[in-house]
Amino acid sequence: MAEQHNNQRDNQEVDEAVTMINVNKWFDDFHVLKNINLDVGNREKVVVCGPSGSGKSTLIRCICKLEDHQKGTINVLGTELNDDVANIDEIRREVGMVFQQFNLFPHMTVLENCTLAQMLVRKKSRKEAEAVAMQFLEKVRIPEQAVKYPGELSGGQQQRVAIARSLCMNPKIMLFDEPTSALDPEMISEVLDVMVALAEEGMTMVCVTHEMGFARRVADRVIFMDQGEIVEQNSPQEFFDNPVNERTQLFLSQILQH
Amino acid sequence: MSETAYPAPPQTPFATSVRKSLFSSPLDCLVTVVCAVLLCLLLYHLVDWAFLSSIWTEEDEPLCKEASGACWSVIDARHRIIFFGLFPFEEHWRSTVACIVMIATIVASCVPWFWSGLKLSVLWITGFAIFYLLMHGGLFGLSVITPERWGGLALTIFIFAAVSLIGMPLSIVLALGRRSRLPVIARLVGLFIDFFRSLPLLTILFTAAVITPFLLPGWLQGDKLYRVIVGFAIFFAAYQAENIRAGLQAIPAGQDEAGKTLGLNYMQRVTRIQLPQAFRNSLPAIVNQFVITFKETSIVTIVGFFEILASGSAAFGTGKWTHHYIEVYVFIGLIYFIFVFSLSRYGAYLEKKLRVGHG
Repeated sequence: MAEQHNNQRDNQEVDEAVTMINVNKWFDDFHVLKNINLDVGNREKVVVCGPSGSGKSTLIRCICKLEDHQKGTINVLGTELNDDVANIDEIRREVGMVFQQFNLFPHMTVLENCTLAQMLVRKKSRKEAEAVAMQFLEKVRIPEQAVKYPGELSGGQQQRVAIARSLCMNPKIMLFDEPTSALDPEMISEVLDVMVALAEEGMTMVCVTHEMGFARRVADRVIFMDQGEIVEQNSPQEFFDNPVNERTQLFLSQILQH
Repeated sequence: MSETAYPAPPQTPFATSVRKSLFSSPLDCLVTVVCAVLLCLLLYHLVDWAFLSSIWTEEDEPLCKEASGACWSVIDARHRIIFFGLFPFEEHWRSTVACIVMIATIVASCVPWFWSGLKLSVLWITGFAIFYLLMHGGLFGLSVITPERWGGLALTIFIFAAVSLIGMPLSIVLALGRRSRLPVIARLVGLFIDFFRSLPLLTILFTAAVITPFLLPGWLQGDKLYRVIVGFAIFFAAYQAENIRAGLQAIPAGQDEAGKTLGLNYMQRVTRIQLPQAFRNSLPAIVNQFVITFKETSIVTIVGFFEILASGSAAFGTGKWTHHYIEVYVFIGLIYFIFVFSLSRYGAYLEKKLRVGHG
């Protein structure tokens, strides 16, 4: 069954990587996402920004079903997210996620972090998985740390490992949830460099970030969220130079002061 | 920016640090000297009692009355009772070998090389099969000896091993069940754990030994020993589950989420991500529970089993040995110490091993 599904998807190339239609979500009584409509095209890079509590993290967590939405539909790579466990697992295999807190597995070496899912989910042999892992560790420029444990690495190195770990699964979409917010300032650029390189290779990306330099350089589209709504979206050029909405203007003036 | 890195100051020599901490003022000197003298006296008396003035062999027993030291004759004469309880005399070799096999099984399963489902299963099934064959007999010309006559160290080790073996997987299931996302399961498991934790072990063992035969159909009853072990294991699991749950609770939610986004299913996340970290987090408490359980095996004496402590009481229970209970208890205490101390050292080793890379 699952394989049939896969073939179907590979054959008919879908235009939209992610489609969200009228998505609503509540945490108990708190309305976090209000009528979200969002399309992310294949190979498109979308940056989501907004004040804290605006629902931007929740939005991308819904895309890989770390959060359930209560109303509306979310389509990822042509498959609708519902309560069907097989569906969810299938989607998660194709969607990579990088977290603010890295979330590397502390009891495994860097290499084991990168090979675990390949072997368990993709059923690769250890040798194959390690070859792939080393390839991506080289790409994020830390192959020499492969035998170390995450606790022995700096924050920036850990985040690069986390990116490599996701890439090992060969995802079609990468989600970034404030990947540089927990980092010391001098380590931010090493992570952003990796993300830029990834973007230039044509990866479909949705990034929640406040790194406006990154947004300007990489994003096809910047989305501004406030109080659970998408308030404004535009090309980075237009978004930063001519913000239309008052709330966007206020937000930008606040974060660009520094 | 400073240009040179200075070497760390030299460490305080041992003698200096001793002088500083023990002899820094006249009062300090006095306290140190008095304590040292008392300690030495105590140590001398202990050594004198146990080794210098003690009697060692059964034949020398008449000398015990005059001697100021321990009368180890009782151990020399009665060690078979202590180690084997009511097990038939001619078959003691069977109990000895069975005991060694069981200890070897426990030790082997502590070695990381054996840590895979398959290896552990093979190890434990073989271990228990050999133990049962030797103790129970009935095959290869070995006479049948029913569990009521098992006793001593072999019984203690067997109960401990069986309770751990049944209790540990059960405790993992209970710990995961209590954290289930389905409220019905979480509540039911919580109720189960709290129910068995609120009962004294004695009550559970009594119920298992005496009352369940009235409640269970004949084919489900099994031997009294096995009912007691199952009851004990449930008690053990109720406590151990809470230890493991504490370890699970301490894992940041992000760990499970990272597993999910990599496409790992529930079982994979539990076995590869959650449990290894949970065990690391609550290892001291988990080892503690094993230590307590080893010592609590002595409670089965109350439902009529002669584990090592009860066999010990039998050893000094007759005739000329009645005065020498102290020696017997010291001897049994030593045996308990060997096992419990090994367990603690193993716990310390595991802690060190699992801490790798955690700074």
